[in-house]
Amino acid sequence: MAAYSITSPSPSCNLGRSIALLDSTKLSASRSLRCAPLRRSTARIRRLSALPQRQVVPRVEARKQTFSSFDELLEKSDKPVLVDFYATWCGPCQFMVPVLEEVSEKLKDKIQVVKIDTEKYVSIANRYRIEALPTFIIFRDGKPCDRFEGALPANQLIQRIESALKVTQ
Amino acid sequence: MSSQTLLLGAAFPSPALALAPSRSRSRRLRIRAQVEPSDKSVEIMRKFSEQYARKSGTYFCMDKGVTAVVIKGLAEHKDSIGAPLCPCRHYDDKAAEVGQGFWNCPCVPMRERKECHCMLFLTPENDFAGKEQAITLEEIKEATSKL
Repeated sequence: MAAYSITSPSPSCNLGRSIALLDSTKLSASRSLRCAPLRRSTARIRRLSALPQRQVVPRVEARKQTFSSFDELLEKSDKPVLVDFYATWCGPCQFMVPVLEEVSEKLKDKIQVVKIDTEKYVSIANRYRIEALPTFIIFRDGKPCDRFEGALPANQLIQRIESALKVTQ
Repeated sequence: MSSQTLLLGAAFPSPALALAPSRSRSRRLRIRAQVEPSDKSVEIMRKFSEQYARKSGTYFCMDKGVTAVVIKGLAEHKDSIGAPLCPCRHYDDKAAEVGQGFWNCPCVPMRERKECHCMLFLTPENDFAGKEQAITLEEIKEATSKL
């Protein structure tokens, strides 16, 4: 069922949740945040031990972490991923919150639902040329295979997902 | 730690940033920056929305929560960038968009074709259209209290 929710500096897979939220405390598109890496083991590999303790992790590393986290999320997912690009003050996006919960539960074996806050993850939103919100992109094997905009009720969303997943295996 | 929280919230220039104090506990550190528009701007955009709905013969969504969120979104943009830029869009450069004007509410698609993808102003034939052209400040506050 569930996937990963990155919610702490020493993150672990939170198996209780079927919707993954990229928590902005971890990732930053363009800020030199001291960014906690996705997995503890990766942290050890990536930390530059030559740096003195008091120095902040360099900007380049933070940016790399951002992309590799989203890409990593897509890569590591064993199911297709439905990504919802949203914003806090977008009415239709908020309308979709319970719809996505329902769809995520009903299709839990078929698809993984991920939500990206476009105000926090600006570079990811730019990368996929997001304009209208909400925009939904279905990823298979890390590549977008369907894309649509606007709010829709649960049954229509389920239909759309299922027909996208039926197309050439 | 405090510099971390500042950077986190500063995704776009916004003077009224409400940052939760960062309580660092050994394992979990959750910092949320939720920006709220000023009451004054919300009231201005609320009045605007009611007037414009009447003027254009459109109606608010059956789910007034949608209306409330969009009104707050418009107010938030008015506060942070000086104009009520459409909150249901992602922009490369918000300041440039404000200058350009296409997406300043009421946006060109709305003015020309009564198309509002925010679901704020809905033509009567729209499946989501309700029957009201009014919304109170209390309704807005209540609907957005859980955000």
